[in-house]
Amino acid sequence: METKKKLLEIRNLKQYFNIGKPNEVRAVDGISFDIYEGETLGLVGESGCGKSTTGRTIIRLYDATDGEVLYDGVNVHGKKSKEELKSFNHKMQMIFQDPYASLNPRMKVSDVIAEGMDIHGLAKTKEERMNKVYELLETVGLNKEHANRYPHEFSGGQRQRIGIARALAVDPDFIIADEPISALDVSIQAQVVNLMKKLQKEKGLTYLFIAHDLSMVKYISDRIGVMYFGKLVELAPAEELYNNPKHPYTQSLLSAIPLPDPISERSRKRKTYDPKMHNYQADETVELREVSPGHFVLCSEKEFAQYKK
Amino acid sequence: MSKILEVNNLNISFHTFAGEVKAIRGVNFHLNKGETLAIVGESGSGKSVTTKAIMRLLPESNSEIKEGEILFDGKDLTKLTDKQMQGIRGKEISMIFQDPMTSLNPTMTVGKQIMEPIIKHQNMSKSAAKQRAIELLKLVGIPMAEERFKQYPHQFSGGMRQRVVIAIALACNPQILIADEPTTALDVTIQAQILELMKDLQKKIDTSIIFITHDLGVVANVADRVAVMYGGRIIEIGTVDEIFYNPQHPYTWGLISSMPDLDTAEDELYAIPGSPPDLLNPPKGDAFAPRNEYAMKIDLEQEPPMFKVSDTHYAATWLLHPDAPKVEPPAAVIKRREMYPGFNNK
Amino acid sequence: MAQFDEKISKDQFEPAIIDASTSERISKPSLNYWQDAWLRVRKNKGAIVSLVVIGFLIIMALIGPSLSKFDSNKQNTKHANLPPRIEALENISWLPFDGTRTLKNGNVVNPYEQKQIEEYYWFGTDALGRDQFSRVWKGTQISLYIAFLAAFIDMVIGVTFGAVSGYFGGRVDNIMQRIIEVLSGIPNLVIVILMIIVLKPGIISITVALTITGWVSMARVIRAQVLKLKNQEFVLASRTLGASHAKIIFKHLLPNLAGVIIINTMFSIPNAIFFEAFLSFIGLGLQDPLASLGTLIDEGFRAMIAFPYQMLVPAIVISVVMIAFNMIADGLRDALDPKMRD
Ligand SMILES: Nc1ncnc2c1ncn2[C@@H]1O[C@H](COP(=O)(O)OP(=O)(O)OP(=O)(O)O)[C@@H](O)[C@H]1O
Ligand SMILES: Nc1ncnc2c1ncn2[C@@H]1O[C@H](COP(=O)(O)OP(=O)(O)OP(=O)(O)O)[C@@H](O)[C@H]1O
Ligand SMILES: [Mg+2]
Ligand SMILES: [Mg+2]
Repeated sequence: METKKKLLEIRNLKQYFNIGKPNEVRAVDGISFDIYEGETLGLVGESGCGKSTTGRTIIRLYDATDGEVLYDGVNVHGKKSKEELKSFNHKMQMIFQDPYASLNPRMKVSDVIAEGMDIHGLAKTKEERMNKVYELLETVGLNKEHANRYPHEFSGGQRQRIGIARALAVDPDFIIADEPISALDVSIQAQVVNLMKKLQKEKGLTYLFIAHDLSMVKYISDRIGVMYFGKLVELAPAEELYNNPKHPYTQSLLSAIPLPDPISERSRKRKTYDPKMHNYQADETVELREVSPGHFVLCSEKEFAQYKK
Repeated sequence: MSKILEVNNLNISFHTFAGEVKAIRGVNFHLNKGETLAIVGESGSGKSVTTKAIMRLLPESNSEIKEGEILFDGKDLTKLTDKQMQGIRGKEISMIFQDPMTSLNPTMTVGKQIMEPIIKHQNMSKSAAKQRAIELLKLVGIPMAEERFKQYPHQFSGGMRQRVVIAIALACNPQILIADEPTTALDVTIQAQILELMKDLQKKIDTSIIFITHDLGVVANVADRVAVMYGGRIIEIGTVDEIFYNPQHPYTWGLISSMPDLDTAEDELYAIPGSPPDLLNPPKGDAFAPRNEYAMKIDLEQEPPMFKVSDTHYAATWLLHPDAPKVEPPAAVIKRREMYPGFNNK
Repeated sequence: MAQFDEKISKDQFEPAIIDASTSERISKPSLNYWQDAWLRVRKNKGAIVSLVVIGFLIIMALIGPSLSKFDSNKQNTKHANLPPRIEALENISWLPFDGTRTLKNGNVVNPYEQKQIEEYYWFGTDALGRDQFSRVWKGTQISLYIAFLAAFIDMVIGVTFGAVSGYFGGRVDNIMQRIIEVLSGIPNLVIVILMIIVLKPGIISITVALTITGWVSMARVIRAQVLKLKNQEFVLASRTLGASHAKIIFKHLLPNLAGVIIINTMFSIPNAIFFEAFLSFIGLGLQDPLASLGTLIDEGFRAMIAFPYQMLVPAIVISVVMIAFNMIADGLRDALDPKMRD
């Protein structure tokens, strides 16, 4: 793990909404983690815990309330020139959750895919542009004829692949995938996941993969982070997280996911999580600590000693 | 086990701008007393339409039941008048929808909404209905039921709202409960609670449940039997073990293999290629054939009938024809067969 | 359950050759939004009939005045207050085009014969002896002109205002919303009357009076739509690609607003026509010799008892225009509104 290069470092990132108003939301409340080059980091947690906000803040769709995001050692946030912004947009891309809302219904598929190329001037001629579009369509398993059609003519899985082609058009190194398969049928999810894995291998992409379906996350991710109410409560290699979850929230989450296996389902024992169970005292510092190499848990000093055993 | 509901050769079409959508094309199944039948299948395969037909909730303006019957309690539901149907809806058969946010009336207290069907169907007095409503709220696990009774839906969380919806559905002790993706909009932890609740309630009041979902994990958790739908037909039906450990239809194979379990480590998942069929012009022969790597010539010509695998297990694939060649299912399916060797495979 | 009567030949069980590319093929013909919408509008008979009617009325408004031999402004007091008379139709007794009129006491008279007039005034003449036919179409022309102009200006101001307010949000939005609130707080009749008193009544001043509050509803609708659209994932995607505000507004927002804009404009046209007629009717509208449908009705109304046709014809035209525009707008709403699509 040490030999791997850190592509992205997230330091104490905070994103609050409606600051100072009675309805202030601390969607992301001081999280720190690294993403290594070429890996897939999974991010799971229940609805509203701040997964999407984390992804969107990293890519600057929101201005961070506090904290920094270092890409290749350079802070992405703060005041930037147009040039710098463009180069970030070039390196970082995003795939969205809703295959129906993520493509402009009034644009042809070719224009959807070529949007990034147009903005960054990546294609010199019309012909080059179309060729690139055809190539991308093929990469995602569609074909030339689809270029002139409109998004509503496609099924959910096809649309999601068009979204992937759009992101790939600017040749990014890092892709944030915000629940790219949640809205798809099981049989179609595998297509998209396979495609993402294939692209990662071919292009050396790095992913931040946000999801709430744990078995798919486990399958695609090298490491997984678990979020709870704006905080990262556990971060570990995928295998380790499943076999040896430390944080009680992670344990409860894992115990709640039904598996496609009737026999094991019959003996499922569900654990519940109540944040009060930690019983943290005012003088305890609760922070992310490394309980074993690469396995971080949000805990107090006292819990830390327990978890390390 | 006695059959409580029987659907025979159901055919339903929608008339749309683009033409006739043959949404349901010959669906047969039955529901036993006290069991949970899960219907799985991808989006647009006709799960909701089938159940809406049972409830007679299809839009009158553009839908048509072309053929078939739905037998409940000796009556064919497709032939009943609206008035008769109202006596069945909510009393004998009730339904839970996917979205707990929109299936409650935001301007009415939760208590009133639960009392409504009780007063309507059971001729109870107001105070008795109120007692019953509070009882129901307790039954579905809502704490402080007396206070909650007076609150409005927006004061409830998503999971609690779905509990209220379930309470309303159960208000008249229905014989059949149809749940159309009742947990899809919920978090896994809340989903787990709702599933537990439903199983628990089923034991207590002995209803039969039709459970629609496309999450195979949920199916494994709740179902006694499973029907797999594809392109407006049921292509495989059997007990939950038969479907999960001895599937016969290539689509079921694909469905089960494309979902990684916690120890899948293969480099590539098994994926069914292509997209679901267009029901405006369904392909000739088997609707799944264009995406089926095991397709044979006959699949392109003729729709397969239901072949019997066991007394409880049927599948519509020509692969089960005695003349068909033996094929090797995907690795994940073989692994599953080995996990549960109870079936003597031919 | 397995039952097959006919024997199936063995070779049928050979693997089929399936072209992998066909599984991704889309069989439906490719239709864009407008083609699709047109298909829907076409199914709506009321809208199509209305479209034809409006087309006819617009043509008549343009060429109508020159179809008749008489100039719309030429006064000929000798020919005042003649009832309608049309060649060929005058002999069909049940049609009101025979040039006769019934007096209060029930007697039927024919002013054409009494005054020995050879000319045919198709819709009769008014109190100053001007040809009603050309005046009606001239009036339609001016009414439509004012309505289209007002609707267009409403659209431009409303869309710009609403889009800017919704898109940039925050303080900008706050200030712009207050402006709208103030404007819509004042009864618009008061504003209009003040406007007309300050400016002299005329086409431009009436148009200005109509638009000064008219754009508010368009701005509101557009703002609401933009607020919704700007958080849609396709807009976010465009932002992550580095698109500028202008690009997002023109490529992503406006095309998706087109439907709403059209529907709203279609509804504001008949409103403008009606409001203009209303102003004319209460005497704040156009002044002679300019005629709009409103002024014609106003004039006709004064002589309604004696010469009902003078009011009837423009009243029918304005009703038809209003109904037809509303039906087209309704049809378009059904066809363009995304909520109604399956
Ligand atoms: N633009 C916004 N303004 C105000 N609050 C917001 C905004 N975006 C998100 N939030 C709030 O921030 C919290 C985190 O939201 P977020 O969308 O990141 O959750 P999530 O983990 O992605 O959930 P899901 O699984 O439902 O997508 C939620 O409470 C949400 O209501
Ligand atoms: N009101 C309607 N008008 C026209 N077609 C309809 C209508 N309702 C359903 N359909 C069509 O019937 C088919 C089956 O739809 P249905 O809602 O049963 O799918 P489903 O299996 O429930 O899918 P999902 O998992 O997305 O809920 C679809 O092709 C759909 O387009
Ligand atoms: Mg999210
Ligand atoms: Mg459905």
